[in-house]
Amino acid sequence: MLQDLINALSLGSIYLLFALGMSLVWGTVGILNFAHGAIFMFAAFVSSVITDQVRLPLPALIVIGAAVGALLSVAVQLLAFQPIMRRAKDHRSGEMQILIGGIGVAAIPLAIAEEVTGSNPFGFAGSSYVTSTFSLLGVRVTSTQLMVVAAALVIGIGVIVWLRFSRSGLALRSIGVDPETASLMGVNRRVLSLSTMAVAGGLAGLAGVLLTYNLGAITPESGDVLLIKAFAAVILGGVGSMAGVIVGAYVLAVAETIVLTQTSGLWVDAVSFGFIFAVLLFKSEGLFGRREVRRT
Amino acid sequence: MRGILLASLGRGIPVTLAMAGLLAVTACGSGGEAAVSAEGGLPAEIKIMTIKDRTGPVAFTGLSTIKGIELAVEQINAEKFLGETKIVLESKDPAGKAQTAASQMTAAIQDKSYAAVFGPVASDQAAATSPLAERGKMPIIYSQAGSEGVVIGKYTFRATPPMTSYYRVIGDHIKSKNVKTLGVVYNTTLPTLKEVAEKVLPEMGAELGFSVVSSAAVQMTTQDFAAPISKVVKEKPDAIALLLVGGQNPTAMRQLRQAGFDGLVLGNTAAGAGNLKPAGQDGAGMTWPSDFHPDQPGESTKKFVDLYQAKFNERPLNYAAEGYDSAWWLARAVKQAGGASRDDIQRGLDVVAAEGFEGAMGKLAFENRDMRLTGVIVQWNGTEEVLVGSDS
Repeated sequence: MLQDLINALSLGSIYLLFALGMSLVWGTVGILNFAHGAIFMFAAFVSSVITDQVRLPLPALIVIGAAVGALLSVAVQLLAFQPIMRRAKDHRSGEMQILIGGIGVAAIPLAIAEEVTGSNPFGFAGSSYVTSTFSLLGVRVTSTQLMVVAAALVIGIGVIVWLRFSRSGLALRSIGVDPETASLMGVNRRVLSLSTMAVAGGLAGLAGVLLTYNLGAITPESGDVLLIKAFAAVILGGVGSMAGVIVGAYVLAVAETIVLTQTSGLWVDAVSFGFIFAVLLFKSEGLFGRREVRRT
Repeated sequence: MRGILLASLGRGIPVTLAMAGLLAVTACGSGGEAAVSAEGGLPAEIKIMTIKDRTGPVAFTGLSTIKGIELAVEQINAEKFLGETKIVLESKDPAGKAQTAASQMTAAIQDKSYAAVFGPVASDQAAATSPLAERGKMPIIYSQAGSEGVVIGKYTFRATPPMTSYYRVIGDHIKSKNVKTLGVVYNTTLPTLKEVAEKVLPEMGAELGFSVVSSAAVQMTTQDFAAPISKVVKEKPDAIALLLVGGQNPTAMRQLRQAGFDGLVLGNTAAGAGNLKPAGQDGAGMTWPSDFHPDQPGESTKKFVDLYQAKFNERPLNYAAEGYDSAWWLARAVKQAGGASRDDIQRGLDVVAAEGFEGAMGKLAFENRDMRLTGVIVQWNGTEEVLVGSDS
């Protein structure tokens, strides 16, 4: 039972680390970035390529992953999303076009990684970091699992504190509520959007590196799979609520773990989508979401 | 393995796509009268379309298969196996899309210069091209593409044995490890793996004296195996079977070792082709039955491996061996039929299948246009795949 709980906590932290950046951008700037999974994967992929050449410790790879993620995310914003929004008839159609734009952009890093790896899984075999396993009272936990859980909780809570109590966080939230009024109040939307994309990309990169260490390997398609789980966590918790994402990620993980350990495991994905469906049906704003969010 | 690695299987068979293609092919009404046909003899060239992924999620399978086919064709032409007649390959890349594969298949059927097709490796693509092949009377030879609905009639052939047909070759290995209890973690999305987990292994257990004490099904989207592994390890089995797709294997092996399990681990061919490399020493000991290993005994295998290494400077994967045997099956069919029309090739493939032949994968037999062989046992030793058993 305790082992199952630890497994659920670890799985929830994986979902949370991945979902944080996606939720941050979606809940504030209003961009549902379908390239988030590709950014996550590509940051880990670049780190893997580098560590194949140079033996590096974990902190160095985290820095590389976060930097690659941030740069890629900013590039996506500058080269794809901003031009789309500029040309869009109105904000709503722009948001819809960005959805498709994100899918299109995601195909590029995916194709590069598939080409280089031959679609094989990749990891950090060249890294100097080695995972240790601890055993206590029949419960086993690895050093990487502990790190993933700690990182997810610290970063999750850190983002909440930043958004609630810092000046820039308040400005960012104001864009999510009413971008025009926020601009009139002196908020530089362009710079703030770009910074948010950089932070979200950095988080995706960080998640990519940590999850690759935790799982041992990921494939070029791994980001797409996690995108669905993150989407479920965000919808469950409520778009725009970082606390909601934290709760959503862990609720999803606990539910999946229960299904997996108590049934044949066939219904795990049905649980993810079932959650999305149920929330949309009975509490469309999510567990912690605002009842009304107007961005235009 | 046959289609194990093919994540796209879960997307289902694109029936609409196949139906649309059927209409086009029916309108074309080629009736198997390929332009290359020459009554009473062989033409100067026999043009074959190769629909194999060079890009996309199953590119590593497609590219390896193409190498095997190219090697065989080069050999067939150089040895003048068909006299002055040359086999010419035209390569098309469906890039992981069933829709593209179906379009390419339709184009091949409509273009009378094509005599046959080497079909796609992904099951969803193959399920879209097979009805077109049958209706257009175009012989098509698949490798991998292991699902139902691929070999569906007299024009569809497959040069990869189903895993369920040779999985039992690992029985002696299990017996030698004195296994009495087995745990199974399997990907339930893929019919082949599901059948091995739910039917083949319990049947083997009844024969060999072990029982399946716990099992956990995972899906194509599962990336963290801590919970299913924990569930299975809890029952303290002597051995565990991890029946997963390519990229899932290194993570599952790593997490299995982290869960403290150090017993025998059974796998499947999807763990091969370098997929366990990221697991390093954590992957050591995983053992699985395969249709091919470059070190397996047999003159025909050795000849293939030597030729392959000389041309590509690398060891061949099972996909390359399957491609190589596909091409030789086709060449033998042309020779047997004494003609190169689509109908000649179809008849020739049937005759060769009935007789069987020695190929890169050893002694090959066929059942209903589907390949059968004994199989070999392969193990990942932490750095490479090694042969640990062969009945060949």
